[in-house]
Amino acid sequence: MIAKGHLIDAAACVGCVACARNCPTKAIRVRDGLARIKYELCIDCGGCVRSCDHGAARAATTPPSHLERFAYTVAVPSVTLYAQFGRDVAPTRVLHALTQLGFDGVYDISWMCEMLAAATDAYVNEARGPWPKISVTCPAVVRLVQVRYPGLIPNLLPIETARELSARLLRRRLQAELGLEPGAIGIFFITPCTAIMDSILSPVGLEQSYLDGALSIAELYGPLLRALETTPEPDTYLDEVSPRGLLWAMAGGEIAGMRNTNTLTVKGPDVQHVFDRIEAGTFQSVDFIEAYICPDGCVSGGLTIEGRYAAQRNLQHIVKSLPASPAIGEERVRQLLREDFFATEEEITARPVQPLGRDLREAVARQKKLQSLIGQLPGKNCAACGAPDCATLAEDVVRDEAALGDCVFLKIERLEDDLRAQEARVS
Amino acid sequence: MMRAALAEPLLVERFPIRGGDYEHGGDAAAAIKSIMRQLGISPDVMRRLSIANFEAEMNLVMYADEGWIELQVFPDALRVVVSDRGPGIPDIGLAMQEGWSTATPEMRARGFGAGLGLPNMKRNSDEFDIASTVGVGTTVRYGVHLP
Repeated sequence: MIAKGHLIDAAACVGCVACARNCPTKAIRVRDGLARIKYELCIDCGGCVRSCDHGAARAATTPPSHLERFAYTVAVPSVTLYAQFGRDVAPTRVLHALTQLGFDGVYDISWMCEMLAAATDAYVNEARGPWPKISVTCPAVVRLVQVRYPGLIPNLLPIETARELSARLLRRRLQAELGLEPGAIGIFFITPCTAIMDSILSPVGLEQSYLDGALSIAELYGPLLRALETTPEPDTYLDEVSPRGLLWAMAGGEIAGMRNTNTLTVKGPDVQHVFDRIEAGTFQSVDFIEAYICPDGCVSGGLTIEGRYAAQRNLQHIVKSLPASPAIGEERVRQLLREDFFATEEEITARPVQPLGRDLREAVARQKKLQSLIGQLPGKNCAACGAPDCATLAEDVVRDEAALGDCVFLKIERLEDDLRAQEARVS
Repeated sequence: MMRAALAEPLLVERFPIRGGDYEHGGDAAAAIKSIMRQLGISPDVMRRLSIANFEAEMNLVMYADEGWIELQVFPDALRVVVSDRGPGIPDIGLAMQEGWSTATPEMRARGFGAGLGLPNMKRNSDEFDIASTVGVGTTVRYGVHLP
């Protein structure tokens, strides 16, 4: 089985259908009292983890013991981490507190985020269609495109993410500085969501991740809070962070740092609605779309602690209180872009949903059967059968993965018919 | 009798559309796309037909009283018939002219805002036919061949 950044713990699962109903790609079924993820449909969004009240659907981040395998470890926090501790804790103080948790080094990616905004500007300026270009920052959005919108793969921005570019740069630098083997350096992302953990385990557009794993903001929150108590307000022992880069923790932050204003942000359930429209040819007048599966971007990731509203207030305050960052060299960024420094290393491939049949005729026959089955089902979408709605149960029946009799309403109907028949016999 | 030679479609799905129903504008095109996905239609064919369907559906919502959009699946092609009761098009030749539109040159360069979108529909189809009677309605037929 492929390693995943989220999974369902069979011992804790009570067989309710909360996860199945909250899955945006209908990838979960509850069968025999146990939720199962159909990974071929899964986009790693973590919606199941968020909706599970029993701790059964959970993140599978890197076990802390794994860090011991490395001679030198570095924490690379998502910029979302800086928004977790109120509005008065400076990002540099958070970075310093991180070093107290046992990491040998920390690395801030806000500068890389700012550079990527400039690289995106430069790329969009020179690019040809199809329009609009779509951001690849949110790994769940990339998976969504692979699974549901393969026609939009050419729209994906062919630029690697800030976390991977940072890890690649950092590993090279540490190898040179410390004289260590690449394998002796452990680089760990501090993640706000399960999707990034998944993107490290099975990367897209990259043969192998430059990161060695990820720890969640949620699991480090407590230890960090304690470490912060003894962390003094730092001097300038660490580079200042980039205020524009910090904004990447919120939906809208990516385009906020761009010169191009012919852009828009889409998030949460609206993403599929907008992607449907893009696939139908609208939005072609837009240059760039920033998209997040989570409702407010990374601050609303499932592995964060601070609520998304408070986190955004914190960030706004922190960004305004930081000294304005010196302008990054746009000519330098253009040069790096030409040298393919930012480029996605591998082609992103489609992962389309399995058609209903092996060929068009079989698929059509099953499509007809599907329509007739949908007509036979009550249409209450109660999910008691274990599929999220009636249409999905019908599709499972057509694919021989479920039976029409799994429907609770049809079962009751049949029992009542039997009862009536029995009564008729008795009288 | 003459027509008997034409192949029967494998599947026909018809979606009614109400004029002025902007709230659901695009739903039929999305439903057709979902069927295409289940049938395993290639992304390129899906993309081209979806563009034509969306243009056709929005034209109907914007200009007609009511109508329908019908998907016909043939072994070698996907064909769509869009028929409406509405004002009709007085000058089809003009409506079919590339760039017959009030859109800016920049928008046009990106294939956007091209009037009724008929040239865009034609450009994305392998077959295209339109018939219209002023005061009665319009029927557009288009299709994309399967590779």
